[in-house]
Amino acid sequence: MLTSSHLNELWSYRDLVLRLAWSDFKLRYKSSALGFFWSLLEPLLMLLVLYVVFSNLMRIQVEHYQLFLLLGIILWNFLDRGTTMSIWGIVGKPSLVQKVYFPRDILVISTCITALMMTALEFVVFIIFMVIFRVMPEWTVVYFPILFVFEFLMILGLSMTLSALNVYFRDVQFIWRLVVQVGFFATPILYPITIFPEDIRGIVMLNPMAQIITMMRDCTLYGISPEPVILAYEAVCTLILLLLGYAIFARLEPGFAEAI
Amino acid sequence: MTSTVKVENLRKTFQIPHEKRTTLFENLVGMMKPSKYEIFTVLKDINFEVERGECVGIIGDNGSGKSTILKILANILRPTAGTVKVKGKVTPFLELGVGFQPDLTVRENIGVYAMIMGLSRMQIKERSYKVMDFAGLKNFQDTKLKNLSSGMQVRLAFSTAIQTDPDVLLVDEVLAVGDMEFQQKCFDVFNRYRNEGVTILFVSHDLGAVRRFCDRTLLLGGGEQMAFGDTGAILDKYVYGTKEKSGSIENQTIKSVEEDQQLISMSGNNSIKITRVQFLDKFEREGTRFNSFDSMTIRIHYYAPSKVLDPVFGIALYTEDGQYLFGTNTELKEIIIDQVEGNSYVDLKIDRITMLSGKFLLTAAVHSHDGKPYDWIDKQHSFNILPTGWDEGIFEVPCRWII
Repeated sequence: MLTSSHLNELWSYRDLVLRLAWSDFKLRYKSSALGFFWSLLEPLLMLLVLYVVFSNLMRIQVEHYQLFLLLGIILWNFLDRGTTMSIWGIVGKPSLVQKVYFPRDILVISTCITALMMTALEFVVFIIFMVIFRVMPEWTVVYFPILFVFEFLMILGLSMTLSALNVYFRDVQFIWRLVVQVGFFATPILYPITIFPEDIRGIVMLNPMAQIITMMRDCTLYGISPEPVILAYEAVCTLILLLLGYAIFARLEPGFAEAI
Repeated sequence: MTSTVKVENLRKTFQIPHEKRTTLFENLVGMMKPSKYEIFTVLKDINFEVERGECVGIIGDNGSGKSTILKILANILRPTAGTVKVKGKVTPFLELGVGFQPDLTVRENIGVYAMIMGLSRMQIKERSYKVMDFAGLKNFQDTKLKNLSSGMQVRLAFSTAIQTDPDVLLVDEVLAVGDMEFQQKCFDVFNRYRNEGVTILFVSHDLGAVRRFCDRTLLLGGGEQMAFGDTGAILDKYVYGTKEKSGSIENQTIKSVEEDQQLISMSGNNSIKITRVQFLDKFEREGTRFNSFDSMTIRIHYYAPSKVLDPVFGIALYTEDGQYLFGTNTELKEIIIDQVEGNSYVDLKIDRITMLSGKFLLTAAVHSHDGKPYDWIDKQHSFNILPTGWDEGIFEVPCRWII
């Protein structure tokens, strides 16, 4: 399905992808005038609670812990939101599947882009925090966009799998909820990886999200550029998730209109 | 001429499981016992080609697979077997207003919907004013869709949808909704498309519309291709040709009517008994559906146990709600029947059915020359007229305009 002809087709539908993403984005904020701020309030509140708990009670000693925590939460939220919204990408839009035709991965891609827009808003807050705490990123921040693209493609790959499976197995959404919740604590978001003993670290860091979040913090907050080996590992993980997602999607897609 | 749509040996089946497993949990639990399902064949052995610029109607009873064909042509459903080739850009009109969001404004909805229907961003920019103008919603462009009446929403959807420039247009009963004026508007638009050389496939129950509009017609019955050819011939086949099915049902009802009738007709003196009434179409076959302007024969079977002199046979026609439309009898037509005896029948030949559409009830009667009833079957038989022209109302009045 990820052939050049399909990519060409997707390119010809780029306006539709953006239009769907944008209207979905607006819909999410339109129902309340302050919707914009409410959505920012959630991560900020979470930040506040976690910050108080972890910096005072647990005594985690990390430089710029507020920013460390906020960036981790934003990046994890992106994964959470992107995949959770995408699970409904196909099932939640029956008329777009049963009454018209366009390549169905457009629905998933546009949902992921909606999640991206919401995350972009949170990054605005993050930048404001950086200014407040007077943290200037070093040149290594150039790796940030590359890593962010990896994360986006990983989310897209997962979303492809989940949205297609959810058409046939409606409990995928509940199972995935669990995975995301466990993942939140199993990934170094609240804590630095150094709290683990050496021999366990390797296992925890097999999780591509753990690597992504760690590298993104390193390059943004601490001026450390990612190691090429780990970057390559991320690239491979991303590719596998994306190809797997597309393979599953392509396999299940012909029956969507009947199974919804 | 090259064919724009080519369907070969198309077959589509649906699997209908006895118990539907929609969760992973149910599937895991159910792995022990094999899932039972029924295979339901919706379409089989469908073969047809449509040439560029042609308008093809697809007709058939409910559940005959008409909509499924359109969905397969639109790539929404995939064939189980066989090949389907469609050249050019396909636009399905299966439902109006796909993807409408009640919480977005009129203008935003036009943007999304038009793009779903395949317009480019530039085209939308150019045409969205035209759309709102056509829908009569110029003053509402920043109103949320949910604040519009449903009629306005349909108008908006329609005027957006018709901005597309497809090569192949698939239309499914969209015309069934909306008032006369809206339907007329639809036909104007489809005519415009046709003149522009757009290939149109048109699913409808409105045989009149199919006759007026389609060059050729595909007749489906129970998922099979019954016929494909010139609209006139196919419609005749549909209207008159399915007598095995409807005829037998009709016979049963006639029988039960006869039983009832014995009671009712006791009031007559039964010197002559009407045993059966048949409606024959232009092919001399029995049926209850007729095209308007075709010919029709009403055959009244009777039984006279002994010789009866000078009987008068008559009929009366009523609309479905019982309004008396027309009556005649042999005496009024100055036909003198000297005598009858035994089993026989009389025919009333209608050369041209002037009723336009609808259901009509028939009363058949036989009485003596001086008005004494022998038998009288009041409004027990009925037939349906399907429209073939544009005129409206119950009856055609022969006329012409002079300017």
